[in-house]
Amino acid sequence: CEEEAVCVIMCASVKYNIRGPALIPRMKTKHRIYYITLFSIVLLGLIATGMFQFWPHSIESSNDWNVEKRSVRDVPVVRLPADSPIPERGDLSCRMHTCFDVYRCGFNPKNKIKVYIYALKKYVDDFGVPVSNTISREYNELLTAISDSDYYTDDINRACLFVPSIDVLNQNTLRIKETAQALAQLARWDRGTNHLLFNMLPGGPPDYNTALDVPRDRALLAGGGFSTWTYRQGYDVSIPVYSPLSAEVDLPEKGPGPRRYFLLSSQVGLHPEYREDIEALQVKHGESVLVLDKCTNLSEGVLSVRKRCHKHQVFDYPQVLQEATFCVVLRGARLGQAVLSDVLQAGCVPVVIADSYILPFSEVLDWKRASVVVPEEKMSDVYSILQSIPQRQIEEMQRQARWFWEAYFQSIKAIALATLQIINDRIYPYAAISYEEWNDPPAVKWGSVSNPLFLPLIPPQSQGFTAIVLTYDRVESLFRVITEVSKVPSLSKLLVVWNNQNKNPPEDSLWPKIRVPLKVVRTAENKLSNRFFPYDEIETEAVLAIDDDIIMLTSDELQFGYEVWREFPDRLVGYPGRLHLWDHEMNKWKYESEWTNEVSMVLTGAAFYHKYFNYLYTYKMPGDIKNWVDAHMNCEDIAMNFLVANVTGKAVIKVTPRKKFKCPECTAIDGLSLDQTHMVERSECINKFASVFGTMPLKVVEHRADPVLYKDDFPEKLKSFPNIGSL
Amino acid sequence: MQSWRRKSLWLALSASWLLLVLLGGFSLLRLALPPRPRPRAPQGWPRWLDADLLQSFSQSGELPEDAAQPPRAPHGGSCNWGSCFDTSKCRGDGLKVFVYPAAGPISETHRKILASIEGSRFHTLSPAGACLLLLLSLDAQTGECSSMPLQWNRGRNHLVLRLHPAPCPRTFQLGQAMVAEASPTVDSFRAGFDVALPFLPEAHPLRGGAPGQLRQHSPQPGVALLALEEERGGWRTAGTNSSACPWDGRCEQDPGPGQTQRWEMLPNATFCLISGHHPQAASRFLQALQAGCIPVLLSPRWELPFSEVIDWTKAAIVADERLLLQVLAALQEMSPAQVLALRQQTQFLWDAYFSSVEKVIHTTLEVIQDRIFGTSAHPSLLWNSPPGALMALSTFSTSPQDFPFYHLQQGSRPEGRFSALIWVGASGQPPLKLIQAVAGSQHCAQILVLWSNERPLPSRWTETAVPLTVIDGCRKVSDRFFPYSTIRTDAILSLDARSSLSTSEVDFAFVVWQSFPERMVGFLTSSHFWDEAHGGWGYTAKRTNEFSMVLTMAAFYHRYYHTLFTHSLPKALRTLADEAPTCVDVLMNFLVAAVTKLPPIKVPYAKQRQEAASLVPGGPETRPKLQAPDPNCINQIAAAFGHMPLRSSRLRLDPVLFKDPVSVQRKKYRSLEKP
Repeated sequence: CEEEAVCVIMCASVKYNIRGPALIPRMKTKHRIYYITLFSIVLLGLIATGMFQFWPHSIESSNDWNVEKRSVRDVPVVRLPADSPIPERGDLSCRMHTCFDVYRCGFNPKNKIKVYIYALKKYVDDFGVPVSNTISREYNELLTAISDSDYYTDDINRACLFVPSIDVLNQNTLRIKETAQALAQLARWDRGTNHLLFNMLPGGPPDYNTALDVPRDRALLAGGGFSTWTYRQGYDVSIPVYSPLSAEVDLPEKGPGPRRYFLLSSQVGLHPEYREDIEALQVKHGESVLVLDKCTNLSEGVLSVRKRCHKHQVFDYPQVLQEATFCVVLRGARLGQAVLSDVLQAGCVPVVIADSYILPFSEVLDWKRASVVVPEEKMSDVYSILQSIPQRQIEEMQRQARWFWEAYFQSIKAIALATLQIINDRIYPYAAISYEEWNDPPAVKWGSVSNPLFLPLIPPQSQGFTAIVLTYDRVESLFRVITEVSKVPSLSKLLVVWNNQNKNPPEDSLWPKIRVPLKVVRTAENKLSNRFFPYDEIETEAVLAIDDDIIMLTSDELQFGYEVWREFPDRLVGYPGRLHLWDHEMNKWKYESEWTNEVSMVLTGAAFYHKYFNYLYTYKMPGDIKNWVDAHMNCEDIAMNFLVANVTGKAVIKVTPRKKFKCPECTAIDGLSLDQTHMVERSECINKFASVFGTMPLKVVEHRADPVLYKDDFPEKLKSFPNIGSL
Repeated sequence: MQSWRRKSLWLALSASWLLLVLLGGFSLLRLALPPRPRPRAPQGWPRWLDADLLQSFSQSGELPEDAAQPPRAPHGGSCNWGSCFDTSKCRGDGLKVFVYPAAGPISETHRKILASIEGSRFHTLSPAGACLLLLLSLDAQTGECSSMPLQWNRGRNHLVLRLHPAPCPRTFQLGQAMVAEASPTVDSFRAGFDVALPFLPEAHPLRGGAPGQLRQHSPQPGVALLALEEERGGWRTAGTNSSACPWDGRCEQDPGPGQTQRWEMLPNATFCLISGHHPQAASRFLQALQAGCIPVLLSPRWELPFSEVIDWTKAAIVADERLLLQVLAALQEMSPAQVLALRQQTQFLWDAYFSSVEKVIHTTLEVIQDRIFGTSAHPSLLWNSPPGALMALSTFSTSPQDFPFYHLQQGSRPEGRFSALIWVGASGQPPLKLIQAVAGSQHCAQILVLWSNERPLPSRWTETAVPLTVIDGCRKVSDRFFPYSTIRTDAILSLDARSSLSTSEVDFAFVVWQSFPERMVGFLTSSHFWDEAHGGWGYTAKRTNEFSMVLTMAAFYHRYYHTLFTHSLPKALRTLADEAPTCVDVLMNFLVAAVTKLPPIKVPYAKQRQEAASLVPGGPETRPKLQAPDPNCINQIAAAFGHMPLRSSRLRLDPVLFKDPVSVQRKKYRSLEKP
């Protein structure tokens, strides 16, 4: 608190003043007393004020602390009368559009559902016997994760989804009827509409249902171990069975590749019939198959959960999983098995043998990429099925398995958030997360490019292009450019961007008369980025950016440039090419304008490109590049080259032999005197942009585009673009 | 001195007073005013003191050791793939399909379906050897209902293809048969077992089919945002500003007559709003797809076509009709990037899977084959990005990097080596000079000589820096495009024994190919044209300002095209190529163009002039390879493809300094310019 600090300093100085007689030595006694009194009053006042400042805060904070830290044992107790209502059994025909009240989610901003969590209570029956364990460690973690997320709201009236604090993760730890009664008396229960229950261990002996047996009416169920018969596609969410080993054991990622065992079965308590089948595999294929079971002769104090045995050989679990390429995940009494999580963590490819099992998050996760599903009937063929998978695909699956564990299995939090995200995506489909975001491991996401113009499509020539001329005050040169460009057959519109705020553009009557519409746009500020603004006036997809001094390009060159663009609509198509090089001495990038055999950039003094890149340049340019370019009044073309290469992953197309834009009457940037500083600046731009993009997106190529018959021994008059070839 | 001291004292004193007044004043003020409620942090789930002491949800005794036999599926007419389909019959040849012959007269659509199955590589004539038995069922038009077929076997391994929702009384139980029907209801659809088909209009073409109507990637400015379906058919467009409530019947405000426009046929709008339970919704959906109008489906009660493999979230928006206002607001705010992606995806999907009966049927069979293949099925990427799963055979590979199409998405690059495949045809001369030239390339990994000549194999070959393999071919022209397992690189340089190339040309062409691995990169070109006089396609090898084909006697392409040529082309076409050898170039170019929808690439060829000279008939050495093929050939191939896939290009890719008046020392590919 600033005030307090000031006070302390002042107090100190005042004190010093009183005690220091040297400062007031020769004063009259009367005056001295007077002064001392005065000082004391001030001092007292200051101390009092200070105290006053401190006091109330400490009380408040200690209060908060008391509220936050409570014991689970102290939660309010709710008595459930024996005859309190029970919800209907789950409705199997429920779908989002029939059982879910989506209106509750109508007012959520940012396309994010709001989730409310009921306060924790302890439910007892008429005799005071508790209905269940109040809450398990995992469910507490789960609710904490939701509460800490963006989904959480403490306003029950704004909530779209309700999560009861009644723990139903494990059906065996609760009394079914009473739990159902407890659910029914929740404040907003309303037949379970918009309520979400989390259950990982459904069913109980002897028949082990594949979904939670607690009657729950319309409530959504996030369940581990659904079968095709209980899972309501598009309504329920299939979740993993959390393995507590995930948190206990730290298995470092093991690189993909062949491992010691080809196939491993690590589950204990398999049905004897299945065990026979698996052991038969071991007999047949010998060393490469390992079948483990519970250890019978472990010494005291060794956790049996963490050990597995084969005959008398003892293995550490789950570490042993990292020794195998494929790991069997067989159904037990329940379809969902926690071992799946351990297997994924070890980067072992799960071989799921559980007919009709709905794999976790199967609505969004592509399990084909991370697992092998084998019908129970085909169990004896498992080995040959697995052997037919190419090594490369196996390695891909191993990586994918580990990634699934890291992203969606490793903690209760990951499970909870993935579940909410799935429900969120159903309600706001236009803001849903894509397949790639769910499934691609970070390494793939980082390396891959999704070209925004991926459809192979050659736009019709009739569409033409819009020429955009950026100009400041070189009217004469501008008019010449307009006249020249207007001769190009495919020009459909001319847009002049008047970047001079101090001077009005010439009167209408003075402009050259051309055959296509000409429009002048006045800008608010003299900025280079105005050239790349997505003006509403641009009606064609093809844009020709051209400087107001580029008068040397022939009509043939421009027309040919446009036709090349049609064949490569997702690229920058320009005339003079430039190159970036790695300077080994300086250890940084260098700009190269020498006439080399390679190009990686084209100058935008005259270049064709898709108008979508204008939108990207203006609104999606990474970092501060756009402002940086405007401030330095340079390198807007390099920025555009970076942007297009980064988003499409493709190289530029240089057309025709032209090497430079030389205009006789202007001081060209290619001029000799400016050359040195110019090159330094441009190199600086490349280094700056490469660091902002975090990579060097530019692609180097060794080719340029010429007309088919360029410089061929062929009658000139029969060539389509004869007027091409000057440097 | 004194006064200075006093002054300073007074100053200190007054400063202290001021401070006191200020601080005290603030405190008093705070007391006097009621405390403002502090922005309260959400209450949140409490942090329990004893959280660490809580028990885990799964006690260790939970392991169901002595559990009874796991519950078997309740068999109540419900089937899933594992329990109701016997894949053991499909081993060996993979999916083989037998179609029950139709009893009595059949409808037009029925006939097209039969034709497309019979033309596919899956078809077999023997029911015993078939792994899938297909019953074209219950054609409403003819009024005839099929009776129980002979091999029925409770419907096991049967696929019942229903074009119209159950028009016939159930003459027999479906049993374990899969059902493929157009827009099945969500409730009866068995995911992973049944197949959802698109609606097939009577007039749907057998093959080829109309291309997507999108002519440009991004929506034109000023185009209507929304098109709404009309009750009587046709569409109505609404502008962006016509309030947020254009949905008829549910809207209190009338959008006004001025803002809407009626369209009989395909809508010209960015989004097409389609009500979910309208009976015609499925046909509207397809219509919108073709038009590149992003379908916005409101709570559809039917399964989207091929939903098992197609990721519809990339091409359509399935929204809840109850949140219509929010949906409309979201559409208006949708980013251009998203609109762009959705639009393009509609066109890709239409073109890859829906535009013809043949594509629909082949997709259906491919879906079932993927189930049989299990782990070697098409990855999702192959289904959902161009050129689509019908063009990307999973028998070739399941790793996307092996194909020429997915390097961008995978962040991979084509490899830096190529294999030269030299075909020795009629001449029978070992092409020693050519081998030297090709072996001189730094990128050459191996040379394969395909000996397709009556003469015996020469026993001695020249010494080369790279391995040389001789394959004794079986004297058929289509042999040239057989996927030989000895080809170990992605890139193939296909050569004819009589081609002549320099090392420099090979090097440059290969570097270009690396930038365009999905296209053919060739030296010699020819073009197709529409011959008004004959009412058919024509072919010319004359040098013109544009071209649409490159000759395979000297061209780089991806080895995947060998697999595609051999395994996906109808046998009739390959036979055609064998009978008229000049046709094989055309066929290969058709195939690649149909996949890429792009023209091939031409690179400079120094010997152009000599080649042109030798084209003159009666030259010293007749060159059958360069003779223009019979126009019949191109027309037959075009008919088999159902459309003309060839695209023309007007450019040639040259080295950056090609024939520039600069020092030769600067140039990397000098010898390219030698006359």
